[in-house]
Amino acid sequence: MELLNLSIRELNKLFITKKTKPSELYSEIFNRSASSEAALHAHLSLFEETNLVKAKKSDERFSKSENVGLLDGIPLAIKDNINIKDEKTTCSSKMLSNFVSPYNATVISKLDTEQTIYTGKTNLDEFAMGSSTENSAFGLTRNPWNTDYVPGGSSGGSAASVASRSSIAALGSDTGGSIRQPASFCGLVGFKPTYGSVSRYGLVAFASSLDQIGPISKSVDDARIVYSAISGHDSLDSTSINYEQIELPFEKNATIGIVKELMEDGISEESKKEVEKVIDILKLKGYNIKEVSLPLIKLSISIYYLIAPAECSANLARFDGVRYGLRVDGKTSYEMMENTRAEGFGNEVKRRILLGTYALSAGYYDEYYGKALRARKKMVDEFSTIFKECDYLISPTTPTEAFKAGEKTNNPLEMYMSDLCTIPANLAGLPAISIPTGLSSNNLPLGVQIMSKPLTDNSLLDFSEMLEKELEFYSTPEGWSK
Amino acid sequence: MNLKPTIGIETHIELNTNTKMFCRCRVVDTEEPNVNLCPTCLGLPGALPVPNEKAIRYITLLALATGCSITKKGMFHRKNYFYPDLPKNYQISQFDLPVGENGNLEIVIDNEKDYVEIERVHMEEDTGKSSHEGSGRIDSATSTSLDFNRSGIPLVEIVTKPVIKSSKEAVAYIEELRQLAIELEISEGKLEKGNLRFDANISVAPSESNELGTKVEIKNMNSLRSLERAIDFEIKRQSSALENGDIIIQETRHWDESKETTTSMRSKEGSADYRYFSDPDIPNMVLTDEFINQIKENLPSLPHENRNKLTETGLGLSDSNVLSKSEKWIFELYFEVFNNTKDSKASFNWITGELQGQMRKLEIKSLPNWFSPNFLSDVIKLIDENKISFTSGKVILEELIQMDTTPDEIAKRLDLYQENDEVAISKIVNEIIDNNQDIVERIKNGEDKLVGFMVGQIIKSSGGSINPGMAKEILSKELNL
Repeated sequence: MELLNLSIRELNKLFITKKTKPSELYSEIFNRSASSEAALHAHLSLFEETNLVKAKKSDERFSKSENVGLLDGIPLAIKDNINIKDEKTTCSSKMLSNFVSPYNATVISKLDTEQTIYTGKTNLDEFAMGSSTENSAFGLTRNPWNTDYVPGGSSGGSAASVASRSSIAALGSDTGGSIRQPASFCGLVGFKPTYGSVSRYGLVAFASSLDQIGPISKSVDDARIVYSAISGHDSLDSTSINYEQIELPFEKNATIGIVKELMEDGISEESKKEVEKVIDILKLKGYNIKEVSLPLIKLSISIYYLIAPAECSANLARFDGVRYGLRVDGKTSYEMMENTRAEGFGNEVKRRILLGTYALSAGYYDEYYGKALRARKKMVDEFSTIFKECDYLISPTTPTEAFKAGEKTNNPLEMYMSDLCTIPANLAGLPAISIPTGLSSNNLPLGVQIMSKPLTDNSLLDFSEMLEKELEFYSTPEGWSK
Repeated sequence: MNLKPTIGIETHIELNTNTKMFCRCRVVDTEEPNVNLCPTCLGLPGALPVPNEKAIRYITLLALATGCSITKKGMFHRKNYFYPDLPKNYQISQFDLPVGENGNLEIVIDNEKDYVEIERVHMEEDTGKSSHEGSGRIDSATSTSLDFNRSGIPLVEIVTKPVIKSSKEAVAYIEELRQLAIELEISEGKLEKGNLRFDANISVAPSESNELGTKVEIKNMNSLRSLERAIDFEIKRQSSALENGDIIIQETRHWDESKETTTSMRSKEGSADYRYFSDPDIPNMVLTDEFINQIKENLPSLPHENRNKLTETGLGLSDSNVLSKSEKWIFELYFEVFNNTKDSKASFNWITGELQGQMRKLEIKSLPNWFSPNFLSDVIKLIDENKISFTSGKVILEELIQMDTTPDEIAKRLDLYQENDEVAISKIVNEIIDNNQDIVERIKNGEDKLVGFMVGQIIKSSGGSINPGMAKEILSKELNL
């Protein structure tokens, strides 16, 4: 029995029936990371020592039947832009290489009550800006399916960790596809919940109106378990929502929309085929299928690359060397701040700060940021209209399979295009999931994305789980171990 | 060249909420630096702001009290600029949708009412405090110490239109605004503690011009005195520049308290593009009619209303203005005393002059609990009825503050009651006349000033108990003067 391939529910059952113990699972995780980390560099830090103690305590709870829930003793990997008290939060930036958080993110406080174990912090593109995890100040992460390829990004470390089984599941953050795209590249489930359904408190902000924490996992059920543990209203986050979930219809009562604009030029044939495969399944199951058009989707990358950089230009202003993190001295306070920011940030981060600062500048605001806000609003309206006639929208998650490391590093625009299918859900605040559907001719995973209207997260997960069963795509990457 | 100055004032008032604007840190008055902090007010990575409802209530209260129209759908904006004491390097503020707009404030100068138009009333969060060592300026400091206790304390900013004409008017405006904040109980209003801080925009233009001159912003005035002097200095500086044909540069100038001059602040702080945009961490704020009406219904009596109540008692506008800005107990004492005596001038003078003077002399901040407002009314009435002299009244008041007794007891104990019985007084007067025939002779020969000597003799022989007015009257009658 390979423990590391099991689902959270299966592991919990084994713990309860005393067929295995959390500490045994943890030592397998630990042994795995000892070999996988060298090949992949999924983690930036591993919390080995504290975890042995935590796993033993979990053992005790199970032996006394005092275990608290499905996540008790389950090792999860945490993206290194989520604060865990007394641990480093580096955001893969030189700027924060020495920053130890004095507080927990709300998601961590919630997982703490579930007695979850954290394997450590995972690699990301610096401040979550990127689609390949190559923009890390601490070295890139590799794709477990084939180490020549990127794992996607920005939550590439979390995805590589789950795919290589150095964690059972992971938390990522998704601003324009940073959970779904790496999940798709690594053959995993990646779920970006409705904006506001998971607290952002303690997630280092990239673009506040788009950021959302969510799970990356081997199965939809694992994603659901993690999501239900971390979601819920939080009084520390003003954008946190406090509404009931809405239930969507199933099977012949449900209508599926195929997004026309995401099945056109710029999408590889292989990616389109995966969508067609899913559609065939749905047809057989009796779902109503129709093609729908959301013309503004074509503008989503333009809108996104004004709004996200504008927000990030202000969000990242606090990294100035004054109170924490890197400090590079100068003759005056201002010189110190300038030197710190010049040395602390990587190129992609600087590029976006410059873009955003420009877009907000006097005289340019209306032309750029203001226009992007108006277009975003129109896109939200477009989605609302479509959701009156469709329950779920289907598209590829990514235009192509994973690309090779180094392939797009010198072409930021091409890199930005890899988020074409995922960005619209962030702009409209929709729940969206990527589920693995099969392998490309290069033996790399492909996935499809399903979106639904806000607050239908649970229905979306149920629907995806149904598809997951029909697709029967369960495979374990072995490329990294060769 | 005839020139006229125009002044606009931006005032920040620190709100006396229990907790900060966007976090749950308690607002504590302490000298110890950096003890009152959390991830949010220290701008740690990942921390988020949650607006303080009470602060919004207070700002709405001030906006309503200044007659502003309320923006029901408000927004928080980020004002971007780098400064070491600004933890996020942006300040959460309000931009195009402030809580209140287009109000006005009644002020009194030179015994006349005037109105200062208010452009806007909006929320801002306070910054930390910088101490630049080696020089007062960030660019030339050898080191800078930072205290973030103040960071995130809610402020309300009140911006006037450019309508103020003199330093005197500016001072009257600040005094009125301060009193308003105190009446609304949204701030302690202590200038020395920085509860109220103000910047002035000053321009000078030819009197006949319809356009304003180039605006210069003056910062670092921390008292009403420095506000007055800085404005006067700046008007003089700009006027003589214009008279010499020089051009005024739009800039920010720093008031130097010791040199009593303004100097140019040519630094990065001055020329910023703040790149305002709606803060994505905070949803739009909706002030419901219910919320607004509830505040409206609970508005306390405002300073200008208090002033009106005072003038209705017959008190002059200037005195009413002084009383309306006094502590609440003094204001209330006035009405109690006035209601008993119906003498507005005497009530005002005895309270603001004698009573407060005595209290200052004795260095006490509040009246002892045995001191009844009736005591003061009794003293005023005794004087009005010629039963005691004004001087005796002061003696009685002084004792009343220091011991638990009544005006009557003191007057009896110290024998301060004046003899008002005409027959009894006549008897003494005639005795004095008989004993001073030579003086009487000289008075009759025209030496009027000796009347006073005679009155003095009369009062002396009575042991000071005779009312001097009556003594003089009877003396005059007896001597057929």
